[in-house]
Amino acid sequence: MECRKFSSLLICSLLFSATVLAAGVDSEGVLRFSLGGEVSVLNPILSTDSVSSAVEGSIFSGLVTVNEKLEMAPDLAERWDVSRDGKVWTFHLRKNVKWHDGAPFTADDVKFTFDSILNPKVNSVRRSDFIIDGLPIKFRIVGKYTLQAILPKPFAPFLVNAGIGIIPKHLLAGKDINTADFNRQPVGTGPFIFKEWRAGDHVTVERNPDYYLGKPLLSKIVYKEIPDANSRLVALEADEIDETDIPPKDYTRMKSVKGVNIYEYDVLLYTYLGFNLANPKFADRRVRQALAYATDKKQLVNLIYRGLASPAFAPSAPVSWAYSDAVPKFDYDPEKARQLLKEAGKEDLEFTILINQGNKEREKAAVILQQQYKKIGVKVNIRVLEWSALLKIVNAPKAPKEFEAVIMGWSLGLDPDAYSIWHSSQYPRGFNFINYNNPKVDKLLERGRETIGRSERKKIYAKLWQAIAADQPYIFLWYPKAVVGIRDRVGGLSKPGPAGMFLRLEKVFIKK
Amino acid sequence: MRKYLFRRLLQLVPLLIGISLISFFVMHLAPGDPTALFIDPNVKPEELARVRANWGLDQPIYVQYFLWLKNACLLDFGRSYTTGQPVINEIGQRLPVTLLLMAPSFLLTLLITIPLGVISAVRKGSWFDNAVTFLSFAGMAIPTFWLGLMLMLLFSVKLHWFPAVGNIILPLITMTIGSLAGLTRYQRASMLEVLNQDFIRTARAKGLPERVVIFKHALRNALIPTVTILGLTLPDLFGGAFIIETIFAWPGMGRLGVQSIFQRDYPIIMGIVMISALLIIIGNLLADIGYALVDPRIRYEKSK
Repeated sequence: MECRKFSSLLICSLLFSATVLAAGVDSEGVLRFSLGGEVSVLNPILSTDSVSSAVEGSIFSGLVTVNEKLEMAPDLAERWDVSRDGKVWTFHLRKNVKWHDGAPFTADDVKFTFDSILNPKVNSVRRSDFIIDGLPIKFRIVGKYTLQAILPKPFAPFLVNAGIGIIPKHLLAGKDINTADFNRQPVGTGPFIFKEWRAGDHVTVERNPDYYLGKPLLSKIVYKEIPDANSRLVALEADEIDETDIPPKDYTRMKSVKGVNIYEYDVLLYTYLGFNLANPKFADRRVRQALAYATDKKQLVNLIYRGLASPAFAPSAPVSWAYSDAVPKFDYDPEKARQLLKEAGKEDLEFTILINQGNKEREKAAVILQQQYKKIGVKVNIRVLEWSALLKIVNAPKAPKEFEAVIMGWSLGLDPDAYSIWHSSQYPRGFNFINYNNPKVDKLLERGRETIGRSERKKIYAKLWQAIAADQPYIFLWYPKAVVGIRDRVGGLSKPGPAGMFLRLEKVFIKK
Repeated sequence: MRKYLFRRLLQLVPLLIGISLISFFVMHLAPGDPTALFIDPNVKPEELARVRANWGLDQPIYVQYFLWLKNACLLDFGRSYTTGQPVINEIGQRLPVTLLLMAPSFLLTLLITIPLGVISAVRKGSWFDNAVTFLSFAGMAIPTFWLGLMLMLLFSVKLHWFPAVGNIILPLITMTIGSLAGLTRYQRASMLEVLNQDFIRTARAKGLPERVVIFKHALRNALIPTVTILGLTLPDLFGGAFIIETIFAWPGMGRLGVQSIFQRDYPIIMGIVMISALLIIIGNLLADIGYALVDPRIRYEKSK
């Protein structure tokens, strides 16, 4: 039902945008984006927040970019090839690309960008992406427009990491990148040129007429910083911004607002209930499986999201190319749950779930799970902590970690590699904070990231998700959907999907 | 008076050092640090440790404090961890924007509360007094964020009079309404108290016109508690500014402060604590000077 309504809405809007395209594009059109926080720094190798990244997306470009199908596609690199052993990646760069200040873009800029990320003095957390098993990737200039990356060993996620925005050598060489003025008045190669930044208020970028993928249709984009979610909705309604996220609770109301189209799409995220496997309460996998059988995921999703999420069964997302549905699902069965608990001798199980303050969905989930587990005689206590306090517990560098269970979420990268979350070497320092240890899973994780071909990787990850799901170290709860409201004067959007609807900014326009 | 001022200004130094010391240590007691919030599975713990060390966060806390203090004495408050910009620049951009909202709101509050309080007291029990009392309590009971959103829905979505975000009118109204209620009640109460005193009866008995009795004899005395309260509400204004700045996307210092606290951007937090402390101390000093102006009995260090 929901789905049908959505697809007809989509078809309508596609038809509609096709007709206005014929009618005309406002060549002076200004797109008004909303940002949920403050832009901190406009330099892709330094920024760590999604707000700054959103703005950087219009100013900078990378070697490769993501397309609607979530595949890596050419951007500053026209094409690339990989040596048979998977260690040497050669990027053939686009010629005649100019920086916004007119200087020519060459392989020097690319090497400079990656070398800067690897420089220990530069405060870039992206350095991890270019170090494999303790050894850095080497970058070599082969020609003015050709660059090679030499990896110490095959590493499939490298291509996604190579998509980071490239920064200009001629403006940054010899400067302290951490504090350079460049970070407040950036120069890139992207479709829009930086114009103005009023701290805490807005950033304006304007059309780059020389953009290599074609002159953008918009004359400007204004990124308006509005930290309060309710205020963003009011601003969308009052026609002061063109786009914002819609929280589940406002979905029905916003659907009735005139002039605003609502789009829902799947994203690369999942929410889970994770168990501390170092705790004897959860060491027996039958206990975790029992809790999985006792979890009514359909009820959770309906009560919390009213259909704007779907039950999750594996540590991947259905929109990922590496997703596989062939995993044990533990469909709701309280009878089986009770039986398994009895077999494990844990009928009097009692434990505490940690959640972070201010996350309404997780707060509701904890209460609903408390009720669901009560039905099989398991007592659940809930403890709400401030986000940093919670992270301090789960990220503690030493074992044992002081928690029993926690509700958290993972945002997945474009590459399916999940080594840092599940590999046994990532405990206690690292993100395998639940102490999951399965040698078969370790093997699959290693093979998955060292194999380059997609079809072969797909098989590896299908086996991996199956092995993890059978162990239930997490109970996978749900995949949330993104819901965005966009004013109907905006055209040229990409197909709704995890990469967003503004994938090709140069094609977005304001209807006349 | 000059000697008194000099002594008060001299007291600033130990006071500010004390405030910085306490704030610095309390700030570091909060769990987490600026790097702990990058919970990205692809970022390895050793990279976070490297960035922490680049910021000097690997040193003992007292060393960090003395380094901060030494630089602060030279008016160098460091650079923000998140933006890499000098703290002075960051605050310098945001403080005037906050003051642009606070100063007119403060003035409006005074211009409205004093007459309202006086008239209410003089006409105690009248329909006017009852209406003001009712509205004051209503004003105190309404949460700022709710009032702000309601004003936005009414004036931006329904009437299209003002933009919802980035315009001064709505935040100014919200902020003023928020501080009106309490001050009106204070002004009314202190005026009532004065009106019941003997010297007012004497003034009336002398046959002075009622206007002179109220505005010259009564009001001047009734303003003394108001001046005290005004000095004390300054910190509230800073606190209230944060909520209002967030709702109306007003790019002021309050928002910068809260964002920095969430990000554990220590240099910015310290900068804001120090500048707010300085402003509040100066505000209180002005209130003390204000006493001398409204109350002839108060004289600091009579020079003879």
